[in-house]
Amino acid sequence: MMKQFMQAATGLNHPGITQWKENGGAIVGYSCSYLPAELIHAAGILPIRLRGIETTGMDMGDAYFGPYICSYPKCILQQAAQGGYQMLDGAVITPGCDSMRRLFECWRKAGEDHQGVVPGFFYYFDVPHKTVDHRMKWFVDEIDSIQKAIETHFEVEITVESLHRSIATYNQGRKLMRDLERFRTQLPAPISGTEAFAISIAGTTLPREEFNATLSNFLETLENRSDKNPENPKRLMVIGSISDDLDLIKLIESNEKALVVADNLCFGVRHDAEEIPVTDNPLEALAQSYLGASTCPRMFGQYKERLAILEKKVESYSVDGVILQNIRFCDLHGSENGLFERDLEKQGIPCLKLEREYGPLADTGRLKMRLDAFMERIS
Amino acid sequence: MTLTAGCDVGSLTTKAVIMDDKAVKSSALIKSKSNPEASARQAMAEAMEKAGVTESELSNVIGTGYGREKIPFVTDVKSEISCHARGAKWLLPSIKTIIDIGGQDCKIIRIDDQGEVVRFVTNDKCASGTGRFLEVMAKALYMDISELGDLNRKSNSPVTLTSTCTVWAQADIVKFIHSGIPVEDIGAGINLAMAKRVSTLVNSVQPEKEVCMTGGVAKNRGVTSLMEKLLGFRLKPIRRADPQLVGAIGAALFGRNR
Repeated sequence: MMKQFMQAATGLNHPGITQWKENGGAIVGYSCSYLPAELIHAAGILPIRLRGIETTGMDMGDAYFGPYICSYPKCILQQAAQGGYQMLDGAVITPGCDSMRRLFECWRKAGEDHQGVVPGFFYYFDVPHKTVDHRMKWFVDEIDSIQKAIETHFEVEITVESLHRSIATYNQGRKLMRDLERFRTQLPAPISGTEAFAISIAGTTLPREEFNATLSNFLETLENRSDKNPENPKRLMVIGSISDDLDLIKLIESNEKALVVADNLCFGVRHDAEEIPVTDNPLEALAQSYLGASTCPRMFGQYKERLAILEKKVESYSVDGVILQNIRFCDLHGSENGLFERDLEKQGIPCLKLEREYGPLADTGRLKMRLDAFMERIS
Repeated sequence: MTLTAGCDVGSLTTKAVIMDDKAVKSSALIKSKSNPEASARQAMAEAMEKAGVTESELSNVIGTGYGREKIPFVTDVKSEISCHARGAKWLLPSIKTIIDIGGQDCKIIRIDDQGEVVRFVTNDKCASGTGRFLEVMAKALYMDISELGDLNRKSNSPVTLTSTCTVWAQADIVKFIHSGIPVEDIGAGINLAMAKRVSTLVNSVQPEKEVCMTGGVAKNRGVTSLMEKLLGFRLKPIRRADPQLVGAIGAALFGRNR
């Protein structure tokens, strides 16, 4: 089971994807956790998060984006250009931040210059930056528009019933993730941060039913698992920029005293807090749930709420230290990490700020030195 | 009497220090080789020969620096941040902030009254603000790195480097040389660029006094005096040992507590 999660977390074309394609299924990639994946799922299409792993160079990424920008969207474009996203029938780009918004423009331009780079369905899904009423109405309209676009392009119908079924399936996955998280709050935690992160990344790329079934079985084995983690580890939480770098968590846990027990990452468990109610108006319910909880610094004016989420996690997971990582040129997390560090340190919670490049961990030596020094500080 | 050793395998130089219960007995400083183990062995052999001791007489050898994981004969490893903190606190008990400029990075470390690290920052993935920056610049000026520090006193009009990027700055240096600008003005400009870059980083941790500098660049009087000017306070000089050995001294001190 863990092998299945690890394969999905570390490879774009893992067996779950190839099998889906062999069965004639369509796949749509999406760039941001603010897109209700239930909508794509309800159309019978496999929604997967767009990722930049397994890039082997940066020629296309650099050519269209330039050097002074976040390496995450660059790696996605690079991957698209080097053929890693041939399995996609569609891609949906969201202005999670300005760099991700540019991914839409750069990818579209690359598609004009090179054949086969842009998938058949290529859609810009706008997301407001505030949760006030008229913005919520706008967001419902956006969801309605993408629903119609999917229906037209893929010649399918997304019914209220199918949306209810998808919401229920995703809710089941959310519940299982919360069950997994409860294990991580235990002292000692029976699961490593690397394994837990692999599971949550796998949730963004495996067919949801398969993910739910595998996770459900895995949780049963976890009940009886003898503790494999180091004795009296220092319990860490990782937060900050978008990250599906399993190697980063591995690098942290390569220090024998470190155990990552919590995260607040958009590839992690940031969005699994609440279940979405099954109501007569599923689009409204999706909008309220996805936009309502201000978990990402892309949302304006809700820093205090986000700090409170971290404070609560520090307490419930018995966190000894917080690692605030951000990808270079990430304005949102770069600045918010500075505020978090100030406010958490004031409360006596040790923090380590790490700025890094997304992609294969070329920075390993430098990062490891900082991580080791941080572990020595909190030990 | 307990003898301990600290071995700091850095990106540019490798340092070894042998200590007894009271003081530094001997030290060695060599250029790092491509193999960290070979660097560590040579530096340790030199230090042991100077102290007249053998490996079996050492109760603990603590490794630090970028190559620390690759030294097979150490008892334990510690990060260079903890080692610089420990070493500086031992050399200067009143110290609260340490600026360590190494070969490939620059660290600002704040410690508490007990010498425990409370906060640290390091520079980004870039060679500017590091010993490597000065080394490349010295080479572009066809001089030894040790000669750079004195150029401030001789310069009346230091040049301004338009970029803190080592590669671009080097291109600037070549342009200045070809324009006939006196070498002391170019050298002073290099020291100023370095001091500015590091001072920005120092201010980001709100330094508490006393503040000292460790690492090879601490021996460059040109950079340290400019930093004092930019920061607005004096840097406490380390007189009891070579500032470049502070990390290795800290490592040896960790060996005492094991």
